[in-house]
Amino acid sequence: MNLILLVLILALSIFVIASKDLLHSVIALSGISMLSALLFVLLKAPDVAITEAAVGAGISTVIFVWAIRHTRRREKEES
Amino acid sequence: MKKSNLFSSCKVLVTFFLIAFTLAPILLSSHPWPNEGRDYLFENASNETGASNSVSAIYLGYRAMDTLGETLVLLVSITGTMTILVGLVKKEKSDSPNTFLLTRDKRKSNQLRTHLLEVVSGKLGPIVLLFGFYVMLYGHISPGGGFQGGVILASGIVFLALGNQSEKETKLNNPIVLARIEGFSFLALILASTSGMLMGKGFFGNPLSHISANFIILLNIIIGLKVGTSIASMCIAMMGRSHDD
Amino acid sequence: MMIERTLIFMIFLVGFWAIIANKHIIKKIFGLNIINAAVVLLFILEGSRIGTQAPLLDMQVTNIVDPIPQALMLTAIVISVCVSALALALSVRLFKATGSFDIDVIQERLSHEQ
Repeated sequence: MNLILLVLILALSIFVIASKDLLHSVIALSGISMLSALLFVLLKAPDVAITEAAVGAGISTVIFVWAIRHTRRREKEES
Repeated sequence: MKKSNLFSSCKVLVTFFLIAFTLAPILLSSHPWPNEGRDYLFENASNETGASNSVSAIYLGYRAMDTLGETLVLLVSITGTMTILVGLVKKEKSDSPNTFLLTRDKRKSNQLRTHLLEVVSGKLGPIVLLFGFYVMLYGHISPGGGFQGGVILASGIVFLALGNQSEKETKLNNPIVLARIEGFSFLALILASTSGMLMGKGFFGNPLSHISANFIILLNIIIGLKVGTSIASMCIAMMGRSHDD
Repeated sequence: MMIERTLIFMIFLVGFWAIIANKHIIKKIFGLNIINAAVVLLFILEGSRIGTQAPLLDMQVTNIVDPIPQALMLTAIVISVCVSALALALSVRLFKATGSFDIDVIQERLSHEQ
């Protein structure tokens, strides 16, 4: 079970780096946080799981989406 | 141009493999995890600090100075972020900085905030706030504590700000009120940490004579308010800015 | 246990690759977050190698996991979101000043301004 979650986290992190659309990267990053929270519950660390879920899915996504909305969504420059 | 590009990618590759080879023995070692600290905490944590959640017992009882330093780092980084945000607002236009407080038909930006989103997040906000206070207040006997409850409080405040359908600014959406709560809770944290010294119990000592969880509950409330209001004020200041591009 | 640590090490290297080899500033901040997630995962995984129960000291528990890495990582997560917020505010400031996220273009345009 731990191995499956870790492989999923690794795949999502590679997707974060490889994706051209920054919004997709942000959603994948919050997916990494949710999978980590699930893994922390399985590893008997409920305190860290609560913090990781609230921070990764809530606050961090808000901040990243703010930065991307105010600038440019695609990675390459169109001009 | 082509040659320098190749050279820099070679540098990056060499650095990458050097870091990998340096870190590999640390991560792949087979040293057994020590269990002396675990055994000591299992025997004594509940009696010495009064908290049966041993994670709370560590970061508010044994290592409370780390928590003070962590809140200091939080304060400094939030201050830096807010300073940069104020500079950004002044550089653009500053006539209507709070577009997300307008009702939906007057709003030029934030058009993705539909009626459904506003109703759902506005109704969900108080429940999330209540859950945050529950996590914060019961941190000494169940999973939770100041940091966790504070972050959930911040999410609840962001929910309430997103679901605000009137044009008026409520108290929880006002960054000035949030910043005042943050400042007062930091002052209260310093007063609580030095109150043990006045009673002769040392820095972050429990000022009361008998061992109980009351001091840990007090510290949980203070840290929860501090973390929650600081992160929420940063998020609201970010969301409330007008953007016209 | 060996396979799990190797996977965490690979997650760390992915984040590190994003930091040193990518020209895009936002991608670098993504790399910082991935490195943070890998370190937190490593600490929690190593701390849970002894014991089988959550560290809540009731009457029933007999064999808890190590609570020290959990208490350390709790503050690290809260710090990481502040660090990424500060870095994002700085990079948005740079974007407003130069109009680009690429570090080479930013350096070129800033040197032209002087």
